[in-house]
Amino acid sequence: MSQPLASVADQLAQLDAARKLVLGDSAFYSQIVQGILPIVGAHARVELRRWGADFLAETFASPGLSLEQKQQLCLLVLQTIKEILELPSEDASVIKSMVQASASIYPLVFRHIIANPDDAPTWEKMAAIKSNILRRWDTAPAGVRVCCIKFVQRVVQVQTPGAPADPRRAEQSETSLTLVPRNHPLIPTTNLEAETFGLLDRMLNVFHENPLDAILVNATLNCLGGLIRSRPSISNKIISTILNFNPLKQASMPLTSKVKVIVKSMERTTRALLLNINKRNPNGPLAGKIHQYMERMAQSRLEFFDDANRKRGPPIEPTDGLDQAKRLRLGAGVPDTPTPTITVPPLPPGPASYAQLFTLTRDEAFRSFDVSQLPIDLVIKIALPVLYRLDQKVLDPAINGLRARYDTYVKQQQRAAPRAAPVDEDDEAYEPDFEPTEDPEQIMNKLDNDVEEPEDTYAPPDVALGQFELPPPPPMSQDETANIGRGTVARVFSMMNMLDESGSAVSKKTKTGINRLAASSYDREAWLTVIIRLATRASTGLDDYDPEANIKTEDGPSTSMTKSTDISLSDSIRDALYLYFIEDFRRRMDIAIAWLNEEWYNERVQKENGNDPQPTYEKWALKIIDGILPYLDAKDKMLIRLLSEMPAVSEAVLERVKKLAGDPERVSLAVNSLHYLILLRPPVRDICIDALEDLWRNYEDARSSAAKLLARWRPQVLQQQQQQQQQQDQVGAVTSASNSATPVPVPVSAPAPAPAPTPAPSSS
Amino acid sequence: MSSDPRLTRAGSRTATPTHPPPPPPPVGPAPIVSSDGGVDGTRIDGSQPVDASGQDNFKLKFCTVCASNQNRSMEAHLRLSAAHYPVVSFGTGSLVRLPGPTITQPNVYAFNTTSYDSMYKELEGKDPRLYRANGLLNMLERNRGVKWGPERWQDWRIGVPRLNHQQDRGSIGVEGGVVDIVITCEERCFDAVVDDLLNRGSPLNRPVHVFNVDIRDNHEEALVGGKAILDLADSLNRAAAEERIIHGDSGWEEGNGASRTNFDERVPEILGDWQERWPQMPALWTLAWF
Repeated sequence: MSQPLASVADQLAQLDAARKLVLGDSAFYSQIVQGILPIVGAHARVELRRWGADFLAETFASPGLSLEQKQQLCLLVLQTIKEILELPSEDASVIKSMVQASASIYPLVFRHIIANPDDAPTWEKMAAIKSNILRRWDTAPAGVRVCCIKFVQRVVQVQTPGAPADPRRAEQSETSLTLVPRNHPLIPTTNLEAETFGLLDRMLNVFHENPLDAILVNATLNCLGGLIRSRPSISNKIISTILNFNPLKQASMPLTSKVKVIVKSMERTTRALLLNINKRNPNGPLAGKIHQYMERMAQSRLEFFDDANRKRGPPIEPTDGLDQAKRLRLGAGVPDTPTPTITVPPLPPGPASYAQLFTLTRDEAFRSFDVSQLPIDLVIKIALPVLYRLDQKVLDPAINGLRARYDTYVKQQQRAAPRAAPVDEDDEAYEPDFEPTEDPEQIMNKLDNDVEEPEDTYAPPDVALGQFELPPPPPMSQDETANIGRGTVARVFSMMNMLDESGSAVSKKTKTGINRLAASSYDREAWLTVIIRLATRASTGLDDYDPEANIKTEDGPSTSMTKSTDISLSDSIRDALYLYFIEDFRRRMDIAIAWLNEEWYNERVQKENGNDPQPTYEKWALKIIDGILPYLDAKDKMLIRLLSEMPAVSEAVLERVKKLAGDPERVSLAVNSLHYLILLRPPVRDICIDALEDLWRNYEDARSSAAKLLARWRPQVLQQQQQQQQQQDQVGAVTSASNSATPVPVPVSAPAPAPAPTPAPSSS
Repeated sequence: MSSDPRLTRAGSRTATPTHPPPPPPPVGPAPIVSSDGGVDGTRIDGSQPVDASGQDNFKLKFCTVCASNQNRSMEAHLRLSAAHYPVVSFGTGSLVRLPGPTITQPNVYAFNTTSYDSMYKELEGKDPRLYRANGLLNMLERNRGVKWGPERWQDWRIGVPRLNHQQDRGSIGVEGGVVDIVITCEERCFDAVVDDLLNRGSPLNRPVHVFNVDIRDNHEEALVGGKAILDLADSLNRAAAEERIIHGDSGWEEGNGASRTNFDERVPEILGDWQERWPQMPALWTLAWF
């Protein structure tokens, strides 16, 4: 055993020496390749085959070897590659290298065949190798499959039309379908095209079939780059496939470290490829989509990994090769970050101007700059963001400093003017006095006048003006209030009508979900919320007082007064809302539902607060249903929607639904609505079944469809009926007229869950 | 050799408790332990010498990449070569940038044409005290013992024989100019490498695993990072070698269960396990093409 091993070692050493030789000078390649083929062929030991396979892969990949040399050599090695690939249970690493070599050889052989259309044996060998590799594609170990993917990528690349070849540089141009003449006997272009499409599809399938097989996905992604770049005819297809692939889809799996690596890696590789595509061709037809995809992906990546806490902060140390230019200052930075302390220098003695009082900077250039020269909108643009971002810690000391400065100044002034009366702090109004009361505002005025307008144009008024207060407006009458209220409501509705057209698209864009703040976006929905709340809640404020008023003066005139105002305020809004809804109830169903919800909620809140509100919800719910019922056709979904989404369904509502069944055309609508409620609204199931029973008993047209449902939900009623009939048949004495009348007296209004037992004896 | 950063580490680790001590070295081959006290220039012993006696000596070929091919990639290069892995190293930056006397005066060199030795001499001539204090001279001294000069990733002609690099440490095994594993030290470099490989259009049809191990660019972190990279390399190499043994003479059919899972397939798992051992260095991986 040791003897052959040693000789293998010797042989390997010799082979390594030969390899050194060709690495040093590629001129020896053809010699060496021919020399080693018999040594490393299909009958050699596995160590030698491994070496040979690696060597062949390296040879045909080597950039040191010219294309012509490779093309000559490839014809020599085809047979060996074929034989080794066809060995049963071949070593995986040998196969791996052989597939790599085949991937490099395929374009060479293809080129050879284009030039030599009669060389069928060579093409057959290549075809055998190709089908061997394609067979392994799905079953081999991952390392080999990866190489199969690469091989297929080469085949696809060769067999699709490339960029138009430059005839002057035919030798240089890359091998592609473009070079194949239409009537080539061995490789008819149509066959090749079909094969290529199949292979490409199979290759792209990895995104659907093995979405968790990171190694295959990454290998595919990373070799697709070349195809996308050099083969415009298929690039869109490839990119669209990638855009449909979501590497983060596996979020449901338990997040083991391995899954994390896999998902992260696929996400990263997809991103790298798409970035690369967009960088090369920023104006490509799919560039926008790619961009969107990447943004979406970035978002879901954050959600997926919840990265925020694991993310590294800014580097503590320089990141680029000890580049000091990028170094964050560590120690030195610390005193920099605290808020700069504001020092307020005292004012110079003597009169000062506003400007001087408020100036904190010591920079002469800033001091002399006259802000009033700037246009006002520019000032606003600058001042607002500055104020917005201003640190409270900076602002407070500055204000305090100014205050202190001002106080000292005032004191100085007082000292300078000994006649000054004590400052009356409460009285801020302008009270002219011949003796200057040193009111703060007056001082300010004076300061201004003294410095900014030194020439004495403004003389203090000689005549005293009386104190003037703007009189409050006369109280509005009830009618006026109501009118103005109605006007306001009308205005809001007209606004909504306008927004209906323009704003609906906008409002759809910003779906912020449950966290949104109602009525904050100033679109149609927001105004609706405002108006609905105005209708439902605004008056409840009045209601708080109303009951007491009612109690105090029962039936008195004042009660009717308050009541009438109340009605005129909120009910007029409700009326307007109702009309607005009815105008186009199909499109505005959401409004009605929102409104009813608010009404219902408000009623509950009122009840909880101990108030006994008027039953507005019920009233308006019925009104809405009454309003739309006449317009519903047999297959309308509006009613079901309303019934399912309104906050509470009462018997009165069901009564309305039942009436629908009076119209033979709309029987099914009534029954279906009830059925829907029975199925999906358990709280009202019982009263709905009652309604159904009523339909069955009292509406001839609805009988059959109602019976079907009753058979499921309340079979005892039907059974009873049957029993009854049987009894009657047995008795046989009863006329058919009375027979048909029997169902009628059954009490339907009673909501008892099982009304069945009683009627039977009563009728008999 | 007293300036070798490895020697300073023993002291600095206790002196700077801000860096969490690295996790205990995994149960791996001996080289890790023996290379711990290893010193530049002296051949690190304790591990078996390279020979072609059998499958046991199968070595994956590595490539380490950082921004300037100075600190992190070179520390890892030294580590890996000390463990007798074939290894090359590159930088992805546009220029080699080293800190200068002030932030605005960095020392800038061209890739591929400037040797570590000339940088060393230049900096030593400029201000030996400064550059020794900030560790640059120590670093360059280590680097000039590893290879001639910094190389730029984008200029690497993959697949072109590297016979003129025989003086470089770790050059044995990478004469062919290709590697099996690329390990970058920063996400920016990872992106640059993956993007560059996409741009090259994979002419060699050869798969390559690209990893990123996030290491901060300072001397201490580079040392820890070098250790982590060696750990990753050991884990990967062990799996690859196992595959060759199991599926070697006995053939694919006789492998069973876990042993059937191929090396490439195990890579995510290996990296996942590694990440749990080195949680402070966020890792990335992809399979790209040369």
